[in-house]
Amino acid sequence: MRAALRWIRSDLRARPFQVAVEMLVVGGVLTALLLSVTVLEGATNPWAGLFAQSRGAQIWMRLAPGTKVSGLRQIGGVTAIAGPYSTTAATIVQGPLQSAVELRAMTPAMPQIGRLLVRQGSWLAPSAPGGVVLEASFAQAIHCRVGSELVINGIDGPTAKVRVIGIAATSDQGFYPDQTPGLAWVQLPLLRRIEPIARHTEEVVGIRIANSADTSFVAQQAVAELTGAVRSVSTWTQVEQSMARGDPLLGLLLALFGLVALGGAVLVIASATGGRVLVQLEELATLKTLGFTPGQITAMVVAEHAGVGLAGASLGVVATRYLTVPLLHGIPASIVPAVVPLPATWIVLMACSAEFLVVLAAAFPGWRAGRVSAVVAVRRPLPAGHLSQLARVVMLSRFPPAIVLGARAAFIRRLPAALTIGGLAMSMAVITIGLGVASTVDDVQRHPANIGLAAALTVSPGELSQAQAGAIVSGDRQVLSAYPSVQVNALLATGTTTITTLGLGTSARPYPFHVAQGSLYHAPGQAVASQGLLDLLHLKVGELVPMQINGVPVIFRIVGRIVEPEYSGQVLAYGLDTLSQAGVVSPPVYYSLVLRPGVTVSAARRHLLAVSGGRLDVTEVNDPASQLGIIRPMLAGLIAVLALVGLVSVLTASSVGIRDQLRDVGALRAIGLTPRQVMVSMVSSTTALAVIAIATGATAGFMVSTRLINLGAQVYGIGSGIGRPPSAPAMAAAILIAAAGATLTAILPARRVVATPVATMLGP
Amino acid sequence: MIARAVPQPAPSADEMLLKIVGLSKVYKGGGPPVHAVRGVSLSLEPGQFVAVMGPSGSGKSSLLHMLGGLEPPTTGQIWFDGARVDGLSQARWAMLRRRNIGFVFQFFNLVSNMTVADNVELPALMSGATRRQAKERRIELLAELGLSDKASASPARLSGGEQQRVALARALANRPSLLLADEPTGNLDSLNSADVLRVLCRVHGQGQTIILVTHDARAASMADRVVNLFDGMIIDDMDVVTPIRPSVAAAGVLRLGE
Repeated sequence: MRAALRWIRSDLRARPFQVAVEMLVVGGVLTALLLSVTVLEGATNPWAGLFAQSRGAQIWMRLAPGTKVSGLRQIGGVTAIAGPYSTTAATIVQGPLQSAVELRAMTPAMPQIGRLLVRQGSWLAPSAPGGVVLEASFAQAIHCRVGSELVINGIDGPTAKVRVIGIAATSDQGFYPDQTPGLAWVQLPLLRRIEPIARHTEEVVGIRIANSADTSFVAQQAVAELTGAVRSVSTWTQVEQSMARGDPLLGLLLALFGLVALGGAVLVIASATGGRVLVQLEELATLKTLGFTPGQITAMVVAEHAGVGLAGASLGVVATRYLTVPLLHGIPASIVPAVVPLPATWIVLMACSAEFLVVLAAAFPGWRAGRVSAVVAVRRPLPAGHLSQLARVVMLSRFPPAIVLGARAAFIRRLPAALTIGGLAMSMAVITIGLGVASTVDDVQRHPANIGLAAALTVSPGELSQAQAGAIVSGDRQVLSAYPSVQVNALLATGTTTITTLGLGTSARPYPFHVAQGSLYHAPGQAVASQGLLDLLHLKVGELVPMQINGVPVIFRIVGRIVEPEYSGQVLAYGLDTLSQAGVVSPPVYYSLVLRPGVTVSAARRHLLAVSGGRLDVTEVNDPASQLGIIRPMLAGLIAVLALVGLVSVLTASSVGIRDQLRDVGALRAIGLTPRQVMVSMVSSTTALAVIAIATGATAGFMVSTRLINLGAQVYGIGSGIGRPPSAPAMAAAILIAAAGATLTAILPARRVVATPVATMLGP
Repeated sequence: MIARAVPQPAPSADEMLLKIVGLSKVYKGGGPPVHAVRGVSLSLEPGQFVAVMGPSGSGKSSLLHMLGGLEPPTTGQIWFDGARVDGLSQARWAMLRRRNIGFVFQFFNLVSNMTVADNVELPALMSGATRRQAKERRIELLAELGLSDKASASPARLSGGEQQRVALARALANRPSLLLADEPTGNLDSLNSADVLRVLCRVHGQGQTIILVTHDARAASMADRVVNLFDGMIIDDMDVVTPIRPSVAAAGVLRLGE
């Protein structure tokens, strides 16, 4: 044990650079993984984050005005009370549009419990008595920003002109419009002005309890405590449910990222350990002659790398702890409403898994180390090789002999050469796939029509008649085409499942879906479906699917497959004439507008509102591609980790090579190779392996990239067809940078060899 | 020096430190099998110093490796201290080496990442000595071998002779009952060779049993007994009868070296 520890200590000291890189890889991968999970958690389940940041209350009660709430503190498990705050219903008026809002009176002093997380602007201030702070999702829905002027109408008529001074997030209630009315915070005098009659107001009080599991129990006790005064109760589970949302595209890419990063870490540890064992064969054999058992040697090698892995994992945990907030700060709140550090148990669990993988990766090389023959110590087998016919021909053709000799030397040891090529090629392949993901994201952002997002705006008639609205949208110069649209639910023939169906355009003029397979609908009764729906119903393109729409049976023939990221990909789309022909009473029609190239969405929206005198209801289509911006920094992180993996492979290859070639190099120098030629020879030895690996990896990555992305998209229901190959300039840059990086990395150890006196190389 | 052939004695296993019977080694690696050692039998009393000589390829090193358990014999028996050991597992052999067998090689085989002190302390630590015990033994050994001032040096900074003396110190750290030396002077100049031989003689004088594989007749002359191998077989097994006491020999070498 002591002997093993001492050996590990000296081995670590002998190669500080390698150890540092190994630690960085483990730490980097763990950090990347933890950050990915943080983002995923923040994006798909934002309540927990908002709750933690706002020190929220689990229970919210609406009470009759003037209710005494001091008794609530006596209930077991209650740690704090938020409020009570006066609250009243009102209407926000923006031109012709009216939105119901709940005004809540708060003070400029931010409360300790149920804090508001100010995203833009500022919180209520004594200096701005007419200021209002809007809840973030509500502000987005009604297109308000800091500085917007609003009119608020009270129920009984009083009106106040207010100014939006801030936008804040809260864990008190779910996102608008899942949960209505919208929420706005004002100071008490303003509330009193809008609703002067006290009995028309309510009091809202939040209860924070020590253990969320006791929520319903405490809520019951609270209701009993305030008998008669309680108008309604809401709990965190309702808020959490209304906030939760799937985000398949982001989730898909994050999952891919996490898996690749993990694979990379395993690869780099295996490669580093394997290379180290190869370099140390003789010393390991010597240890055996001293009396180390095979098991002890295996344990020692594994323990050494496990120790480095543990240090790396700790580094990752610390880095995550300090980097989470600054790194993820820039993500728009519309994608991730709250970024909150993961619970300690998750972090520990993931760090342990990383450590387990390190041990797993070191296990095989460690086992090999244990099996090293003790005779190696005294035999010093020199790898056999001969100058191939090819090498002779190349040398005769005046090719620099140093390069030929170096390249030839790279392949004398077959297994290490294969390991190096394998490790490096794998990194390169994954980098190529990463570039493919990047170009897919680019493509989706540049041509949203390819994922079913041809329309940038939807327009509801609002106060106008359908004909008037139709005339306005089809007459607008910024609109390329307008498609009458309906969204109706359909009950499947089985009677248990309801799906979303879209009537878009007509059979004569179908909406320009990007059809991945089959064709668009050109006759009544034809429909296109996305992958998620086909999977759900076990259908293929060309088959019939019967369903009921508004009680009327309709049979669709699925003639094509479209790519659709929304509704979990469970969408059926058809021409509106199908509905009229089947006798379905058409629900209200809205228009999906495809804009002319070069027209910005906001400009078109402003123009339509102006033309209609603000009477049209114009909404921007939720563009999942806008959320994909977050992928880019993650891809950059991934590529950095993989570059580290490659670096370790190259370093391993050159140290194994140098150990093998030292005598050869001595001999070559003795017969007249200049130090520079020796350098070239050693570097080309590593570069030869790297070039093969890079070429193989890039080719393999290029071949599978599109297919892999499509496969992932298919699994997630978006459907195959979004994948794009990496762009040529990106590929060229990646290949050149990789080759140059490999060569530069190989120069470092080669310089050391050149500096060694020839006599030392020729000696034992 | 006068040498004479002696008939093979038949001592009982109890008195013998090492006894090998019909030991042979065949290497099979692609081509025709190579018979490196063919049916060698040998017995060794405690305290004996045996030199194994023979031309290159005569099977000397293979024999030594089998005696130390570095590679298994193809056939034959090895008895160590009255127990049969040829069938031991690698781990058992490792434990036997740890406590009872010291190795010295032609190319020293010091652990290059470790200091001289660490190299010498390693076997003691491995056999369960405390850090203090290992350190005491190391100080004692290095002082005995004149290397006290090199304790914290890296092996690469030492001369060949110094490296081989460190290797000897490491081999002797656990006071092994058998010291196996494979051409320990094969890579040294005459001055350094003399140094190493002087140490071997001295430890032999203290009762150390030694098997020395060598090409060097002068090295072999220090031994009590010289075994000659040719083509994997013993062709000659002689006691060296010149009544040179080990201590005298050591003194002689000492003078030689000075």
